[in-house]
Amino acid sequence: MPVDVDNSSTVSGDASVSSSGNQNPPPKSTAKKKRSLPGMPDPDAEVIALSPKTLMATNRFVCEICNKGFQRDQNLQLHRRGHNLPWKLRQRSGKEVRKRVYVCPEPTCVHHDPSRALGDLTGIKKHFCRKHGEKKWKCDKCSKKYAVQSDWKAHSKICGTREYKCDCGTLFSRRDSFITHRAFCDALAEESAKAQTNPGSEPDPKVLAVDSSPTPALPPASPPVSAPAPVEVQVSAQALPQSTSAMTSSVMPIQSSELAEDPSSVMEEAPALAPGLNGSCSSGVSSVSNGSSSSSSSSVFASLFASSTASASLQPPAFTDLIRAIGPPDCPIDPAPSTPIEPISLCLSTSHGSSIFGSAGQEHRQYAPPPQPAMSATALLQKAAQMGAAASNASLLRGLGVVSSSSSSAPQENLQWGQRQVEPINASVAAGLGLELPSDGSSGLKELMMGTPVFGPKQTTLDFLGLGVAASGSPNGGLSALITSIGGGLDVTAAPASFGGGDFKDMGRIS
Amino acid sequence: MFQDESSSVTSSSSPLQVFSMMSLSPKLGSPYPWIRELKSEERGLYLIHLLLTCANHVANGSLENANIALEQISQLASPGGDTMQRMAAYFTEALADRILKAWPALHKALNSTRITLVSEEILVRKLFFELFPFMKVAFVLTNQAVIEAMEGEKMVHIIDLNAAEPAQWVALIQALSARPEGPPHLRITGIHQRKEVLDQMAHRLTEEAEKLDLPFQFNPVVSKLENLDIERLRVKTGEALAISSVLQLHSLLASDDELDRKKSPLGSKNLNGIHLQRALQMNQSTSGELLEKDSANGYSPSPDSASSSPLSSAGSVKVDSFLNALWGLSPKLIVITEQDSNHNGSTLMERLLESLHSYAALFDCSESTVSRTSLERLKVEKMLFGEEIKNIIACEGAERKERHEKLEKWIQRLKLAGFGNIPLSYYGMLHARRLLQGYNCDGYKMKEEDGCVVICWQDRPLFSVSAWRCRK
Repeated sequence: MPVDVDNSSTVSGDASVSSSGNQNPPPKSTAKKKRSLPGMPDPDAEVIALSPKTLMATNRFVCEICNKGFQRDQNLQLHRRGHNLPWKLRQRSGKEVRKRVYVCPEPTCVHHDPSRALGDLTGIKKHFCRKHGEKKWKCDKCSKKYAVQSDWKAHSKICGTREYKCDCGTLFSRRDSFITHRAFCDALAEESAKAQTNPGSEPDPKVLAVDSSPTPALPPASPPVSAPAPVEVQVSAQALPQSTSAMTSSVMPIQSSELAEDPSSVMEEAPALAPGLNGSCSSGVSSVSNGSSSSSSSSVFASLFASSTASASLQPPAFTDLIRAIGPPDCPIDPAPSTPIEPISLCLSTSHGSSIFGSAGQEHRQYAPPPQPAMSATALLQKAAQMGAAASNASLLRGLGVVSSSSSSAPQENLQWGQRQVEPINASVAAGLGLELPSDGSSGLKELMMGTPVFGPKQTTLDFLGLGVAASGSPNGGLSALITSIGGGLDVTAAPASFGGGDFKDMGRIS
Repeated sequence: MFQDESSSVTSSSSPLQVFSMMSLSPKLGSPYPWIRELKSEERGLYLIHLLLTCANHVANGSLENANIALEQISQLASPGGDTMQRMAAYFTEALADRILKAWPALHKALNSTRITLVSEEILVRKLFFELFPFMKVAFVLTNQAVIEAMEGEKMVHIIDLNAAEPAQWVALIQALSARPEGPPHLRITGIHQRKEVLDQMAHRLTEEAEKLDLPFQFNPVVSKLENLDIERLRVKTGEALAISSVLQLHSLLASDDELDRKKSPLGSKNLNGIHLQRALQMNQSTSGELLEKDSANGYSPSPDSASSSPLSSAGSVKVDSFLNALWGLSPKLIVITEQDSNHNGSTLMERLLESLHSYAALFDCSESTVSRTSLERLKVEKMLFGEEIKNIIACEGAERKERHEKLEKWIQRLKLAGFGNIPLSYYGMLHARRLLQGYNCDGYKMKEEDGCVVICWQDRPLFSVSAWRCRK
């Protein structure tokens, strides 16, 4: 008779017992837990290692009368009742039975380690068969083989029900492998190449920058909107299975905000199209061989884009496009929106194209046409650093000298003294702003600082305490004295304000 | 006199010329009539100058001058204007807040009746998630790393250090349920300060899991991250553990910096050294002391936080012990998303300059993708970016939570804590790039650096995502 595994405390030939090794002793689960979760070993559970033979064995319990095999002893006993044989159903033992967990006998397996044991006997059996067993069950529709009968049954229910077909003709049952394939499929690569060369204005720098696969830069979902997102997601998630079975082409329906919700479906949604345009678009996509159709599909995309993105993206792409237009002169701006991505921005930029190109390549124009998009803050910062560096020392200082000489002589001395002291500080402070332009870093900030007094109205007051600070003799005082003395000049309301400033200063001093 | 200036500089510096000329003519009527006539670029440049000047004044403690600069800025800045105007608005608010902190009681009194609506906070996070792709990309990369690490696992336990956005895990549930080998048993432990957020998450995730017939359990843990008790996470042996940290670790770098300065050898090179000594001895900050400490460190060549070793400051103790505790759980995977900017400089000017650049990129991004009149954009800019800026600029010590650091520093820290880098898979990056493409804005860039992914706006890195495993 096969060894009775229930009696695990005996050291039999087949079973061995070891205590589980714990790394952390987490607290026991609370009473709130509904049922014990399968395969989660309790820290003080008993670890049982069964032999492969025991695991693979089915029907270990055999009826002596009719030789019917049973997997469980209980079932055999119930069967024996039918033969009027003496039967004994083992009750659950009165004392609390220790939870048992099982390890895989295969030494190379992850679950061979007691800390990774599985808590379910059926589970470990299936695992062993699946991973370390021979695949005896084969699906008749496809060629997949399975070691566990239940896996095989589950598969054959699904086999052939969901299929994805690529343009190149390959069939997939799995969504993720379908997506991966499409990313690299040659047929698609051809199509995108045609789409790129034909209208001639595919934004190559952009494509390279994103470093994506050579799929056509199809118009993606519209920029996400805030409120109705979850509702849309639900609806579209359900709509997806039906539509995929319905479609034979590679086109998938558009989900506007589902990008957020589902990373695996992101792959589908990104090159998505509106459902309403399926017919025309798929014809556009599939009939790639002639260039005319690609441009017609592009125009379809353009109209889609015009309708769906009217609200949000009208203004913004113009600016990026503008910057790009200013940059590389061979980046064409087509009058006709031939790329699917930026029909609106191209239209907008063409209106300014002439003025920008006409201005001898300088990006700053004081009297540019009215709806000029603002310069980006990043560009402004770079420019500020550049400006500071560009202006020479001497001229600005002279300018300062001019301004300050109108008031008393003391600040002028201060300034001169201050300049000498300014250098050591510059590197650290200027380095921040001058980061983008390493060659200009040293004098950048200093010029900026010195530049400020020139902005304000005439210097009218002195900052006595500024002088006091300067007199302390440390290098830090120099630049701050400079700023404060000049800053005093920024004070339009002369006496009272500086008085107030003085008060604050005093407060500050007295610690 | 000014001819020399104009000839020696390019035409783009004409604003300087304009301003200098203006300064000589007396004003009539309003103090700054010429300000209104500035074009947007000149105005932007002027704003930058003013911001730097103002910050200088604040760092020195010359409040009157700072006030004047603030006045000038207020004529030009506006939260509804162009990029630079908006940025200036939030930066000046931060600077003003900083000045006000010199009078702690005053500051406290002004903020005592402020109402913070949880719903608004939640909404702003949601808006940031939806209007910008950064969070989505981080989620996509995290989920992909989880799926790959958990291949073949039957029991998966995920710990989310800031469980605020259900979308991430909904996506993971969907992906796991579509797994060819069948779904694992999934357990997610979500940590958050607010119980309402966790309840919402629990509801959404259980609903999704039930729909897809995936065995699922959500364990909420209501706690601040710094006070987290690891035991409450209930990590069990036998399950495969993954940890997801999205923009959470940097707040653990916050510490009482005064203690650091005492130990730092550069603490003595200060302006008004006597005052500073006294300040340190008293170890309180009255108004003047705070300003003096500020001015002291305004320009001292303090160690660039990018170069010093992470273990040198007290601030890293908290984060190191937290990382060690996580390491002790033997996670199979830990994915960390952080801002990739150095906003943790020890001086105000350092942080100001760095944050000007990073937030310029963020505001540019916002300008390029969302309409100016959008209320959502305003909310995100004010309640998210603006608050971060305020924290970076106005706060010091333990209060300053937004201690963003560059990726290299995080890599160092994680390696020291016993983690080994797992390069993010090509497939995950493919997902993420597709997502970025979907935003139809070529300002978004993604690049790979040592197996980690950095999401940039134009050339400015903004966020980084990296995956790690336990190194035994």
